[in-house]
Amino acid sequence: MVERVLSLHKKHRIAVAWAQDTHTLSAIHKAVNCGFAEAILIGHSPEIKNVCRKTGIDHELFSLVDSEDEASSASEAVRLARIGDADIVMKGLVGTDKFLKAVMDKNDGLMLPEAVLSYVCALEIPAYHKLLFITDPAVIPFPNLNQKIAMADYAIEMTERFGINRPKIALIGASEKLSRHFKSSSDYPKMCKMSRDGRIRNCIMDGPLDIFLACDKKSVEIKGINTPVNGDSDILLFPSLESCNPFYKGLMLFAQGELAGIIRGTSKPVVVMSRSESEKSKFYCIALSCLMA
Amino acid sequence: MVLKSMSDLKGIVAGKPRKKLVLAAAQDQHSLSAVLRAWKDETIEPILIGDKEIIQNICAENGYDISGLRIIHESSTEIAVEMAVKMLSTKQADILMKGKVGTSTLLKSVLNKEWGLRTGNLLSHIALFEVDTYHKLIAVTDVAMNIAPNLKDKIAIVNNSVALLLRLGYVMPKVAVLGAVEMVNENMEATLDAALLSKMNQRDQIRDCIIDGPLAFDNAVSLESAKFKGIKSEVAGDTDLLLMPDIEVGNVLYKSLVFFAKAKVASIILGAQVPIVLTSRSDSEQAKYDSILLAAAASK
Repeated sequence: MVERVLSLHKKHRIAVAWAQDTHTLSAIHKAVNCGFAEAILIGHSPEIKNVCRKTGIDHELFSLVDSEDEASSASEAVRLARIGDADIVMKGLVGTDKFLKAVMDKNDGLMLPEAVLSYVCALEIPAYHKLLFITDPAVIPFPNLNQKIAMADYAIEMTERFGINRPKIALIGASEKLSRHFKSSSDYPKMCKMSRDGRIRNCIMDGPLDIFLACDKKSVEIKGINTPVNGDSDILLFPSLESCNPFYKGLMLFAQGELAGIIRGTSKPVVVMSRSESEKSKFYCIALSCLMA
Repeated sequence: MVLKSMSDLKGIVAGKPRKKLVLAAAQDQHSLSAVLRAWKDETIEPILIGDKEIIQNICAENGYDISGLRIIHESSTEIAVEMAVKMLSTKQADILMKGKVGTSTLLKSVLNKEWGLRTGNLLSHIALFEVDTYHKLIAVTDVAMNIAPNLKDKIAIVNNSVALLLRLGYVMPKVAVLGAVEMVNENMEATLDAALLSKMNQRDQIRDCIIDGPLAFDNAVSLESAKFKGIKSEVAGDTDLLLMPDIEVGNVLYKSLVFFAKAKVASIILGAQVPIVLTSRSDSEQAKYDSILLAAAASK
């Protein structure tokens, strides 16, 4: 992914809200050094300089913008993106709720009209033969049909940036069998039909499929299921945040996964990461946002 | 005591009299190979009920030595299952295992009011995982049986699971109630149930364990993540049992741990008079064997 970003030969300007956090600064520093990003750090300047010094980073590499508190740093980052001074907005040490409030502000935010706000992640897992894109581990708790369609579109758009043509999307459920017990899976046949009609564009879609059938060819053979996804998914679309969230966390902790994710539905890419994520993952998120910008 | 690996189950089994396992509709190669392996290493004493000719053919084809093994011939699957269940309800055996029969057929017999294996408790599924990157085994429930458990069901599922862990030697196992977030969120029922379960545990309405929740997956299994988020919890980072909000969440997690994290897994059904081994076609032979081992360790 990083190579892909570098091959674009473009520098993107990232506005970081409340930037005085070691992990965030290290990740940003790495991106700037790699040559695909410039950073505008918003926050308490003396504090930012202080953290830079402690971490051994030259603060002259960045533009600094002074800001009073968390909320105003978030609004300032969003404002810079709106007037075109920044291409990407990133959350630093500011709380997610305050940050998203600024992003989602009806008048001064970054929401596209009528857009669904959702989250798409790219996961690198040693046990899988390629990148796996997943949605939505962070924003929509229980997506309805419209929201699921938007999620699929965002994920398809992201895979295209990675050069994947006609990605395979598995709509994830507990079983490949349709059952009236699973409310969230009842949208899946409709979505498959819509993808055949071209209303969900340029993908190969099937579901419900369980994780085995979505990601393991052998399981497809053993069970003798006829599915165009055939254990070779590029994208997994989950029925709920509740199922997607432990999935990615489980893979990060137990399967040595690394992730990069960004928010979709905004006019400019928005990077929101959990404070507990590794510096590596944060760096990947920045690279991904540059790819999507 | 806590279990560090599947092989710890062997130690428990070795200290008990050999348990009798009934394989219902035994004409199934996958189950047979696991059962025969557990027989050879003296984990269990199997009794096969099913179509004798097919069983013998399968064993001949695969080179399984079944001399000295007890086989009861019954060509009808349904009658074979009924015979197996009755054998358990009359205490002639200790463990029930599903062979070549649908899960619903087997459970119908298990739940039969006259001769079944009911106890009045809810039936629930538990899976024990061994993952290289976690410091001990972690139990996960319910990933296969109860679709969308309500609060009452969740209490029953915790009680079933804790009873099992106590029988395996645990003292005050740590139970994490999983949520997508670690905050109580009025739009996510799972987090509300989690708060209720934690409080009920503090008030001794659910005993013999320490419950905390909601905990997101990372907080439940990683102390570092929990510390980072400033979560104070006795359970965080040291979970023995992870309670799932529903089967969709559980199933996804179960399969991703097996497929992506190469976890070893053993699973049984709890809440009946005896442990039930109910594995699926897609489970590996090792998983079936480990499930038999778990059932033997769980058997009274």
